[in-house]
Amino acid sequence: MTFTLALRNVFRHKTRSIITLSTVAFGCVALIFVGGFFEDTFYKMREGYIRSYAGHLQVFKQGFLEKGAAKPFDYLIDNPGEIITLIQGIEAVQYVTRRIEFAGLISTGENSTSCIGQGIEPKNERSVRQSDVEKQFQSRGDLSLLVGNVIETGDPLKEDEGFAVLLGRGLASSLGAQVGDGLILVSHTIGGSINAVDVSLKGTFYTSTKDFDDHFLRLPLAGAQKLLHTDSVQSLVILLKKTEDTARVKAELRHLFQEKGLALELRDWEEINDFYTKTRALFGRFFLILKLVVAIIAILGIFNTMNMAVLERTAEIGTLMALGTKQKGVAALFLMEGGILGALGGGIGIIAGIGITRLIASIGIPMPPPPGATMRWVSEPMIVPWTILFAFALSMAASLLSSFYPAYKASRLEIAQALRYAG
Amino acid sequence: MGALLMSIIRVEGATKEYYLGKTVVPALRGVDLQVEKGEFLAIAGPSGSGKTTLLNLIGCIEKPSAGKVSIDGVDTAHLTSDELADLRATKIGFIFQNFNLLPVLTALENVEYPLSIRKIPAREKRRKARQLLEAVGLSRFLHHKPLELSGGQRQRVAIARAMVADPAMILADEPTANLDHTTGQEILNLMKQMNAERKTTFLFSTHDPKVMAIAQRVVPLSDGIVADPQR
Ligand SMILES: Nc1ncnc2c1ncn2[C@@H]1O[C@H](COP(=O)(O)OP(=O)(O)OP(=O)(O)O)[C@@H](O)[C@H]1O
Ligand SMILES: [Mg+2]
Repeated sequence: MTFTLALRNVFRHKTRSIITLSTVAFGCVALIFVGGFFEDTFYKMREGYIRSYAGHLQVFKQGFLEKGAAKPFDYLIDNPGEIITLIQGIEAVQYVTRRIEFAGLISTGENSTSCIGQGIEPKNERSVRQSDVEKQFQSRGDLSLLVGNVIETGDPLKEDEGFAVLLGRGLASSLGAQVGDGLILVSHTIGGSINAVDVSLKGTFYTSTKDFDDHFLRLPLAGAQKLLHTDSVQSLVILLKKTEDTARVKAELRHLFQEKGLALELRDWEEINDFYTKTRALFGRFFLILKLVVAIIAILGIFNTMNMAVLERTAEIGTLMALGTKQKGVAALFLMEGGILGALGGGIGIIAGIGITRLIASIGIPMPPPPGATMRWVSEPMIVPWTILFAFALSMAASLLSSFYPAYKASRLEIAQALRYAG
Repeated sequence: MGALLMSIIRVEGATKEYYLGKTVVPALRGVDLQVEKGEFLAIAGPSGSGKTTLLNLIGCIEKPSAGKVSIDGVDTAHLTSDELADLRATKIGFIFQNFNLLPVLTALENVEYPLSIRKIPAREKRRKARQLLEAVGLSRFLHHKPLELSGGQRQRVAIARAMVADPAMILADEPTANLDHTTGQEILNLMKQMNAERKTTFLFSTHDPKVMAIAQRVVPLSDGIVADPQR
């Protein structure tokens, strides 16, 4: 009966209850939407970064991570074939690709600039033409941030064209080079002598990371190996089917390498660049502030409603107690009323939040490039189950918390005084 | 009344003082009263004479400043608030001047309420509540909310609510004060009838001489004391 009583009391003042419920529900909608927006941002940022450059995992020769910066060519992998077979044996792996990186000088004959050369396997490193990106951006079939490398001008690399290069768009513009130009690429070989090759500029590219586009040059692995006088590679980059598998596969590989006596070490995408982790932490703070604001608004709204209810119903509380309701029974009634407000507000908020988030996601919000990036993108806020659960728990907690004092006050009323209150 | 019979209510030297800031307002100044089972008794007195206060002491919703109140042989002085609540739930029914029904509940649910405090099973609750509402002549209004009932009908619901848990006594503070004369008479007759049929003790307060006339015994209260206890 207490529940019946509580439920009917909640709907006694319809307008007031609707306003209170809306306050709570609106808070939930804000949390669900903003949480979903952040999650989508992180997701696209992370996947863009992984697919355009970092991969999920990178394999190096033991010691490279510590000392490789000074002497990169002392830590090369000589027999990648065997290791690749080993890695490809893992179910979660989508592909493994070989890379070799070197510091170099690129020159048009007029202008020269330092660059970082990256020998890659074009068939494994996904790239998409700018025109396709534009189409995708309009139709949002696939998202520009997810495509990896975007070929802005010219054509993608091909496996067999050893001395064709792609320049990052920042690098290309600082060099003043045009597609089709013949360029000279200079670098130290692994033996320490200097080598120079003639290369043709096949195209320019950009990724989600501006820094990368300002310094990198890409060419087929075979060409890079010829320039550097080596058959070895520097790293194996692993792309997984799902990012969530990163830690598991990393552990598995580490174990495998140990078992086979391979002197290799592993680095995951988060270790390569902690930008994602830091941004996530920063956004986590913003979100925490939003959570606090929502909690405070909900608490104040419900507190006001419950406090008014106790005042208005003083005589009624006296009656309940005169009839033999105990203090804790009265407290339970008001806590339950608060709980019902919280549950209903939270419930409505979840439904509205999911609906609104879905709707906005289906329309899409055009976004400027994220910090350190160059790509426009479209936000499609996600439905995050954890945030939904949190929003509901928050509205329940807020409503119980804010009903606590009014409930206590109601239960401590002096019966005789409360009854006289009726007039 | 026989000396062997235990009085259902025994008030001895009860006083009650209220404090308004620093001034002391004496509401009761030493009241002795014994009520036997089955009595139909009126407490009569002008406004401010202490009727409500006395009924509150007997109803265990206030404690006396000094003196003693025993209900059915139990001294109430040392009971905790939960024990007092239990005592009220099992032994005492209340009827109020303003009816004091719960506005969100129907007549039937209002009458069921005292039974749900005592955790009576739903079927039994419903059966008893219906029975009582029939007894007060409201079988056609079971599902009406208080706002959909007249004053007299509301007070009938209140009587049914007060009686439903078979209490030993019913305390009614000016039960007819908010009703017109005829309706008031009907309510008093109903109370009288319940008293006769069920042997429930009734204590009601009034300042209306016409109401006093129906009482078996009248205790006149004036300025916080029983004016003429021998009457
Ligand atoms: N809470 C209180 N604080 C201060 N004085 C009070 C309080 N309650 C009652 N009194 C005083 O105690 C006295 C007795 O009041 P009580 O309500 O018992 O009288 P009553 O006979 O019921 O009067 P009425 O016929 O008007 O209902 C009055 O003087 C009243 O002003
Ligand atoms: Mg009074």
